[in-house]
Parts: sequence; structure tokens; C-alpha cells
Amino acid sequence: MSAGPAEPAPPPGPAGPADPAPPSGPRERVRVTAPKPGEPLATAAGHPGLERSDTATVYAASLIRSQLRLAIVCAAGFVVSLGMLWLVLALAPGLDGVVVAGAPVSWLLLAFGAYPAILAFAVIFIVASTRNEAGYRSLMNAGPSA
Amino acid sequence: MNPLLGYIAIAAVTIATALIGFFGLRISRTTQDFYVASRTVRPWWNASAIGGEYLSAASVLGIAGLILLQGSGGLWFPIGYTAGYLMLLLFVAAPLRRSGAYTIPDFTGARLESLAVRRITTLLVMLIGWFYIVPQLQGAALTIRITTGLPSWTGAVAVAVIVGLIVAAGGMRSITFVQAFQFWLKLTAIAVPVVFLLITVGGGGGPAVDPAVAFPAELGPASLDAYSTVSLVVALLLGTMGLPHVLVRFYTNPDGPAARRTTLIVLGLLSVFYVFPTIVGLLGRALAPELASAGEADALVLLLPGMVIGGPLGDVLTALVIAGAFGAFLSTSSGLVISLAGVISQEVAGGSVRGFRIAAIASSIVPLAVALVLEPGGLAGSVGLVFAFTASTLCPVLVLGIWWRGLTARGAIAGMLGGGLFCGTAILLGPTLAGAGGSPEWLLAALRQPAAWTVPLAFALTIVVSHLDRRRTPRGADRFIARLHVPEGTR
Repeated sequence: MSAGPAEPAPPPGPAGPADPAPPSGPRERVRVTAPKPGEPLATAAGHPGLERSDTATVYAASLIRSQLRLAIVCAAGFVVSLGMLWLVLALAPGLDGVVVAGAPVSWLLLAFGAYPAILAFAVIFIVASTRNEAGYRSLMNAGPSA
Repeated sequence: MNPLLGYIAIAAVTIATALIGFFGLRISRTTQDFYVASRTVRPWWNASAIGGEYLSAASVLGIAGLILLQGSGGLWFPIGYTAGYLMLLLFVAAPLRRSGAYTIPDFTGARLESLAVRRITTLLVMLIGWFYIVPQLQGAALTIRITTGLPSWTGAVAVAVIVGLIVAAGGMRSITFVQAFQFWLKLTAIAVPVVFLLITVGGGGGPAVDPAVAFPAELGPASLDAYSTVSLVVALLLGTMGLPHVLVRFYTNPDGPAARRTTLIVLGLLSVFYVFPTIVGLLGRALAPELASAGEADALVLLLPGMVIGGPLGDVLTALVIAGAFGAFLSTSSGLVISLAGVISQEVAGGSVRGFRIAAIASSIVPLAVALVLEPGGLAGSVGLVFAFTASTLCPVLVLGIWWRGLTARGAIAGMLGGGLFCGTAILLGPTLAGAGGSPEWLLAALRQPAAWTVPLAFALTIVVSHLDRRRTPRGADRFIARLHVPEGTR
């Protein structure tokens, strides 16, 4: 953000922030600024153009559905595992009496038990969503012959 | 406590921040352009910077204070702060990066093709940002009072002035290195004292403590109120994705998969970080129960090393925590002031440098005024309410905007205003009713932790109004949404 929104915005276009060109030739300073209200947004590097065939639209819709399903499954899985942790703590009040390193096990489980689940679901999501995108890519590369 | 320690620590961290900002700025000005430079920023640096900006006074001081004050209820805060990034990863990280939006108003305005939506989002972002800065300034006030003995207001004024000046001068424009440095400073500042505390206590240096007294079952995890806990978790899980200073950081990722990788590293960094304030909170229950009062509990992290260890080592560790805490106020506030100044200047001043500077000063003065007028509440609790407000206003429009083509401008406005109205009223009305007495306990609980009902309400309003208004679905919606999800490099 070194060239923050304080700079005047450049005209949108190929020289804008979406330009994926590697740093070559004379180093010229390109200002990156937020688009002005109403201006179209710049896209990420190497992003597809907007003209799309019908087949591509169908593939994209199916990709979005599978990504949404994946996100919901991961979120639900995490919330359920958090709920299970709580349920165990609520149903086993005896854990309050078991002391490890000076503190009750029930407190320690709540203090440190949730983070492995957070990281596990994050990894699962990243692997699966990358696979969904790879599937889409191979479908598109195979060509819309169907 | 020796006031000199406080002065030295605070001066050191301020100077280090200004220096790194200054040199970072020079590097980014004279070498490559910003965008290419940002591509060379590895996900590790980027993730550290996100962590540096995210870990605020609530994380560094507030969590330990809340565990000391409320028992195991405080343990849910770090879980929620971390899991909020999981939700951000699942629902918004990669699509938001691909949208090319720099701020949240950019995204909502472009997605819904509506200037009104853009304006309302801007207003909400300003409100959220200001109320997120307030607890930072209150944390600074507390730190100054405890460590130097000066009156509280000097701390809030100092941070607001430093941040306002640095940002307006352009010396610390959210530069990745500064924020990344702040993360590792904060981690060191709390991890090193905790290690020494554990060694001292484990070696028999601490007093003998009965676990049943320090960790009573009635404050234990089994005794927590179900509604309040669920509501808090909803607020923290869904509030993170709408924070103004978070989205800007994702813009420095080159593409969607990099945004996901960065988020995973952030989750790892946060999981490691939160172990330490949690340990301080648990140790505080055993070793410093006398600090468990509303005004003092948040100072636990600052006071515990000196109380338990003492001597020159205790002094050094105390100076280290003071530096870490002050770093937290500076980094979070400046991250917020930068994103707010960007949004405001773009909206009203056409993005001029002068406009940015004025907006930066305004963005530090308004929260300062609020912080000086408001009675300081618990740090973690105040930040928790900001999360509830964000989850009730910006979360629905972001999530539905990314995943549901049927969202319309009117639906988005109805959800944002409705959610904001209900959540804001609950936050303002709650303390008044509780003070007046005579209100039923369920009503007070619902107002104290409103997210469990205001977030579903905001989602429902957005969906129902969009559905009634379905003839006005933005024409470009399908194309826009496809662009958010289709991987880079395909056609």
C-alpha cells in the first residue's frame, strides 16, 4: 500500500494494477490506486476475459456450486466439532477435578483444543478448493467440444 | 513500577516503527513500482503483516484480562478471533481477491452497480473503523496510567497524535514490513515473558495455589451461559470478514490461491500467538487474583512479569510487554486509520493527497474524542461488540454478494441498515436498561450479546428484500460472480 489511495487514480486499462508484466526495462513507477466510484474494478493477474461461451458458463456455474458446497461443509464441520468439544465439557463435569500442570483439564481443553480443528479444516478446504479449480481448468482445456 | 521502563519501551517502539516505516517507504519509492513489489512479497511476509495489523489491544491485553475477570468465558474470545479467519478463508478470501476491489465499498458498489450501496457501505466502514480504534486508545490510556503514572488521557492522545501524524505524513502507509515487524514484536513481547513465568512458577518460585479456588467450577467451561456463548461466537466468526483493514491486505496477494495460502499462514500465526495471552490469563487467576476488578484486569499482562519475577529480569520483561502492547495500539490504529482515510478521501475528496491527509487526521481525532468521553469498558468486550456490528451489517452483503446472484441493491441496503439499526440499538440500549434495573434477564442477555439474533435478521432482510426486488437483479451479476470464482489463467 506504499502508493496508497492518496495518489490520483490512473486511467483504468492495460497499464493498471492488473498488468501482469514482469519488472523489465527501465523501472518506472506505476501508481496503484483504488478505482474511483463507478469505475470498473481491476482484475487479478492473468484473469480470464469476460467473453465466455455457453459451455464455459455452465462449467463456471458448476464450479461455483461445488466451491459453495465445500465452504458450507467445512464451516459446518468446524462448528459441529466446536459444539462437540463444548458438549464433552458440559457432560463431563468430572474433568473440572482432574488437574494437569496446575489447571483443570476442562479449562485447558477449551483454552487450547479448538486450534487444531481450525487448522485442520483450513487445510482440508484449501486442498479441496484447489482440486475443484484444477478440475475446472482441465475441463476448459479439453475444449468445449461437448 | 518504575516509570522509566514505560517511557523507554514506548519511545523505543515508536521510533522503531517510524524508522522502519521511513526506510520501507524510501525503498518502495525508489525501486520498483508498488504492484510488482507486492507480488514479490512472500505469503509469509504478507501473513505476518496481516497478523501485525489484526492483533490489537483486545488480543494483547484484553484476553488475559477477561480470563482473569470472567473465567473460562474469556477463553472463547481467542478461539473466535482465530476462527473468524477460517470463515474468511472459506467464504471470501479468494473471491474477494479476484474481484480486484481495494475496499469494501469498492466491492459492494461494483457488484451491485449502485452508488447508494457504495455510500452506505462507506458510512458503515467509517463507523466500524472509528469504534474499533476507540478500544485501542483506551488500551493506550490504561498502559500509560499503569506504567508511567501519567493521567489516562495522555496515553489516548499520544497514540492518536502519533498515528495521525505518521499516516498523514505518509511515513507508514500500511507498509508490509512495518506491520510484519509489529507481529513478531508482539509475539516476542508476550512469548518471552510467558516462558520465564512458566519456568519460575514450574520451578516452585510461585506461591502454592489450590486449583479449585483459582479455577472454580462455577466459572468453568461447563457452566457457561449457552445463549451468550453462541452469540459471542457468531459475532467473532462472522465479524472478521467485514473489518476495514483486513481486505486491503488481501489485495497484495497476486491471485486467489495465494490469498488462500496467506490466510492459512495467518491462521497458524494466530493459533501460536493466542496460546500466550491465554497462559497469562490462566496464570493470573492463580497468581494475581487481586487484579480481578473491571478497571485493572486488562493490565494483567503488563503487571504479572514484575509481580512474579521481579529484579532486573522482571524489569526487562516488563519493558518488553509494554513495548509489545504499545506496538499493538500503533499498528492496529494506523492500519485502521489508513484504510479509513483511503475510503473517506476517495469518497469525498476524489482521492487527492490533501484529502487523504485531512481524512487521516479526522480518522484519528473522532475516535479520540469518543475514547475520552466514553467510560472505558473491558477491551476484549468492546472489540467483541464491534465484531457483532460488523457481522450484522457487512458480512451478509459480502457473503451473499459473492455467492448469490439474486442479491439486489435494495436487498443489500435493507440488510445493512436493518442489521445496523438493530445491532446498534442493542449495543446502546443494553447498558442503559441494565443500569435502570427491572428488565428481565433474557432481554438484557439478548442486548448484551446481540449477534445471535441480529445476524440472522440481517441475512433474512437482505434475502427477502432482494427476492421481492428480483426484477432489479444487476445485469452483470452472473459475469461478476463467475469472475470471482473462476481460477486465474483459464479462458
